[in-house]
Amino acid sequence: MNASGAPLLEASGLVKRYGGLVAINEVDLELHPGTITGVIGPNGAGKSTLIGLIGGAIPATQGSIRLNGRDISRLAASERARAGIGRTYQIPRPFLDMTVEENLEVAQYSIAPFINATLAREERDALLARTGLSDAARLPARALPLLRRKRLEVARALALKPRIVLLDEVGAGLVDSEITELITLIRSVADPNTAIVIVEHVLRVVRECCSRSIVLNFGTKLIEGPTAEVFANDEVAAVYLGTGGDRELGAASGTSTEAEAEASVHLESPAAERRVMSPLIATRSESSGGAPLLELKGICASYGQARVLKGIDLTIREGEAIAILGANGAGKTTLARTISGAIAPTSGVLRIAGEDVAGQPPHRIAELGIAHCMEGRRIFPTLSVKENLLIAARNASASACQERLDSVYDLFPVLAERKDHSGTSMSGGQQQMLAIGRALMARPRLVIFDEISLGLAPVVMDKLYEALMVLKQAGMTLIVIEQDVDRALALADHAYVLEHGVFGLSGKPREIAADPRLRHIYIGTAD
Amino acid sequence: MPDIGVALSTIVSGVLLGGMLALTALGLSIVLGVMRLVNLAHGDFVVVGAYVGLFFLKFTGVDPLLGLPVIALIVAALAIPLYRFLLAPLAERGPEAQMMTMFAVAIILENAFVLGFSADTRSIERDYATLPLTLGPVTVPLIYVIGFAIAVALILAVHWLISRTRFGRDLRASAADAQAAATLGIDVKRVQMLTFGLGAACAGVGGTLIGAAFQFGPSSGAAYLLNSLAIVVLGGLGNVLGTLFGGVTLGFLQSVGGLTLGDGYRDLVGMALFLLVLAFRPDGFLARRRS
Amino acid sequence: MKTSSGLAEVGVLLAAFVLLWFAPSFAGDYGLQIAFRVLIYLTLAESWNLLAGSTGLVSLGTSCFVGLGAYVAFGLMNAFDVPLPLGLACCAVAGGALAALVSPALFRLRGLYFTVGTLALAELLRLIMVNVSAFGGASGIFLQKDPPPLPVLFHYALVVALIASLAITACARSRISVILRAVRDDEDAAAQMGVRPYRTKLGAFILSSALVAIAGGVQATKLGAIEPYGMFGLQWSIDVLSMVIIGGVGLRLGPLVGALFVVALGEALADYPEAHVAIAGVILIVLIRFAPRGVVGFVENLAPFTQKKRVAA
Repeated sequence: MNASGAPLLEASGLVKRYGGLVAINEVDLELHPGTITGVIGPNGAGKSTLIGLIGGAIPATQGSIRLNGRDISRLAASERARAGIGRTYQIPRPFLDMTVEENLEVAQYSIAPFINATLAREERDALLARTGLSDAARLPARALPLLRRKRLEVARALALKPRIVLLDEVGAGLVDSEITELITLIRSVADPNTAIVIVEHVLRVVRECCSRSIVLNFGTKLIEGPTAEVFANDEVAAVYLGTGGDRELGAASGTSTEAEAEASVHLESPAAERRVMSPLIATRSESSGGAPLLELKGICASYGQARVLKGIDLTIREGEAIAILGANGAGKTTLARTISGAIAPTSGVLRIAGEDVAGQPPHRIAELGIAHCMEGRRIFPTLSVKENLLIAARNASASACQERLDSVYDLFPVLAERKDHSGTSMSGGQQQMLAIGRALMARPRLVIFDEISLGLAPVVMDKLYEALMVLKQAGMTLIVIEQDVDRALALADHAYVLEHGVFGLSGKPREIAADPRLRHIYIGTAD
Repeated sequence: MPDIGVALSTIVSGVLLGGMLALTALGLSIVLGVMRLVNLAHGDFVVVGAYVGLFFLKFTGVDPLLGLPVIALIVAALAIPLYRFLLAPLAERGPEAQMMTMFAVAIILENAFVLGFSADTRSIERDYATLPLTLGPVTVPLIYVIGFAIAVALILAVHWLISRTRFGRDLRASAADAQAAATLGIDVKRVQMLTFGLGAACAGVGGTLIGAAFQFGPSSGAAYLLNSLAIVVLGGLGNVLGTLFGGVTLGFLQSVGGLTLGDGYRDLVGMALFLLVLAFRPDGFLARRRS
Repeated sequence: MKTSSGLAEVGVLLAAFVLLWFAPSFAGDYGLQIAFRVLIYLTLAESWNLLAGSTGLVSLGTSCFVGLGAYVAFGLMNAFDVPLPLGLACCAVAGGALAALVSPALFRLRGLYFTVGTLALAELLRLIMVNVSAFGGASGIFLQKDPPPLPVLFHYALVVALIASLAITACARSRISVILRAVRDDEDAAAQMGVRPYRTKLGAFILSSALVAIAGGVQATKLGAIEPYGMFGLQWSIDVLSMVIIGGVGLRLGPLVGALFVVALGEALADYPEAHVAIAGVILIVLIRFAPRGVVGFVENLAPFTQKKRVAA
């Protein structure tokens, strides 16, 4: 920790707005040579945006960035790279058709086109040796598995001979032993002249590499300080595990779960819920002959070149609510997209009410009663709120559409107020309500809620989960995919924890919450 | 400087033609919006429409303006198999492959016209087409006014279709985020196919109108394509009413260019405008007021 | 390894050049005519490949730079009695300058409008030539002095084709190639490596346009008379596209195979111009669908032992 002397990089008052959404709000940052700084925070807190702002991929709405005293706020990404800022991408973006060596040459030749060939080769060899890629120098980047692609990302950034290295989620999607290798690599990269920033979900990387850490939440800096102090802070644990901030992880007792369920019921009885929500919930079918509503057996799926799901078994019966938990990059969203048909599984059985639907297009799966409230909300900006809702009511009569609209408006009155405005003119929380309402408009038999709490304030999350509880009371079958453990467990009958593409843990919410392995998967405290 | 009456008449004629071109441009625009495809055969679809109008009159004796719905259906029916058999299989391969395929279709069509219908310049001849309509100092052929009125009515109809109907909703959703639309239950391929058919129908009807008001030949397609593109860029992509604005503006500026510089400069104005708008206002002049 | 294979390629090109230099002494007039056309086409296709292969931009504006070269060459030779080599050098400068001038409009929206922009540009230039009487108007202009004899023109075409081929080799086998491929594959990631995407694309566009303009000047000199409809006609762009798609987009041997094929097809169907173009269209559709890497790619797939040589592409 070298806080004395002039900072190498100084960012002040950084702001990034996307329309009405504030991704980064007034963040200040000072990086000193020879330090490694960790940036942590829940999904959607603005960590990757911060990297983009410093690296130049994202133009800042406000604020200034100085490198060695020189204002670089207005420079394009390429100029910042030349000025000495190297970054990696969360999902590696190597030039797939080039060899590993050529990937490094891009950086070398762009900053020094006339570098002596022998010297360039020596530098490359040294970099490859340092990042453990020597044996892969002549392989096309496409042939590398995820860990080695991440190493290549780091090697490419280093080939710029940077003063600042920005590492974006290098640990995501890696198994423990791989993370150990990665930590060794990062430590080897550190030198007295370079400042490193690590944005990371795998907290072990931050704990073991960084002298200082910053916690981001809702785009603002929550805490900054020595890593050990930051990690010991209760507020930080609360931000990570239970957004309410009033409960410790693992202490989610049965009583509190019930208490929360009680609090969210705003109608007299389950029967009343069912009546009001009935236009949105498909009638239970007897025709499937007792087959489960959804059945997955040995489902494998890939995203791009990466194998993400490695054999998922899951059975859901009507009226059940299940939670799928897991750290960033564990494969939760891929699982959701595989069920809804956006990704065709590479192998395995996918049955809806007994019918094999693997490889069917998404609109066919939607027809069978599976609704998917997508990650990132995916509101259509060119459609009004009402049109966004109606779009999901396929083949419904005008009166049925109206009934469903009324029920959604009943659930989220704000949508009725804004029904003629553009879908994306609303705040993040309202857009999430719209996304939930839209999924319900299909009158589905099962809804997958993918990360609905992402980037939202706790009080908004409370409202959303209250709505989900209402749906559950009314008999809807639910899959809730969440990073926020407490909320998901409070709702679910059964929980699964996804780790590296398989279910590493499953059971009753109470058991899961108490299981030390959960904390290990998320924060990795069980050293 | 020609006398004021002639000048005004020329300008009004240009504006009326611009309205008709706006209809064909609309077809190009919705296909571009939904499929991300610059349909390089669009100008030849316009020519197909003109030929269909011509032969419709020849074989049925029915006035092609009355037969417009039939003509629209015929052109759409000719276009949909192109989508189904040539474009849909290339969907995974990015927009270039589809664009090049439509370019090949364009050159095939153009040469097929020459082989089938000779290289002659033709016109759909109706008695009323040459009747003059005089309003104060302005005199324009009646057919220009009829063609313009029909084009504007159809543009408004398409606007209604896109902004008020279920199909229009699906179309806009597919254009904005095809993947999300599919997940919500929209059969995006079907929407694309119908959009492609609708785009062709717009071109076909526009072609019949232009064929009745002006002359056309087998190789007129390229000019229609480029003018349509200029209109789309002027009006803003995905903006239906903006397209009408773009057409009228282009028609106006072309006539002014023709009047001041000489008739040969009419088309030149369009191309120059197109490149200037791309350079300085790539989202169109009406980018703020999206429909 | 990279340098040695690059040198070998240069060696092959120079050997072919020397061999062909003596073609006029053994080929007949017809053979020389055909060879001339193949060389011009080869230059156009190599230039197109250079642009598409290094930037991913699909141009339909070949005719725009062919026509520009033709008019610049004739203008300079007629008005100032400039010698042909200097005239051709000016063609290159003019082609590059026009490319630089229009790039702000054409590079918008990452290529969606590039194709139609180049199409419109060709149309714009044609209309200017048609309408401005100083440029000869619709009837065009004649070359006032006698054009050099065919064997000399053949040598010009040969030199131009060699320059284009060497340019491709330089871009595909040198340090530039990794930069170009990086920009084509992932502009953002390339920028994060310090590469300047806009400048890189502009450089490729300027080089490609300059080469096409020279070819246009040579072609015009051979014709002795030019008019806007022919020199700025869409036919150039159609032929170039046919060549690269038939040969294989971005493949080293693609332009040569494509040029031979298109010239041969043109000769075979010389009496049926419409059928010729329509058949070319059908071939394009079939190849795009079933052999996206063209004839060369298809043969490579059949014979996996042949070393795959991908160009800057």
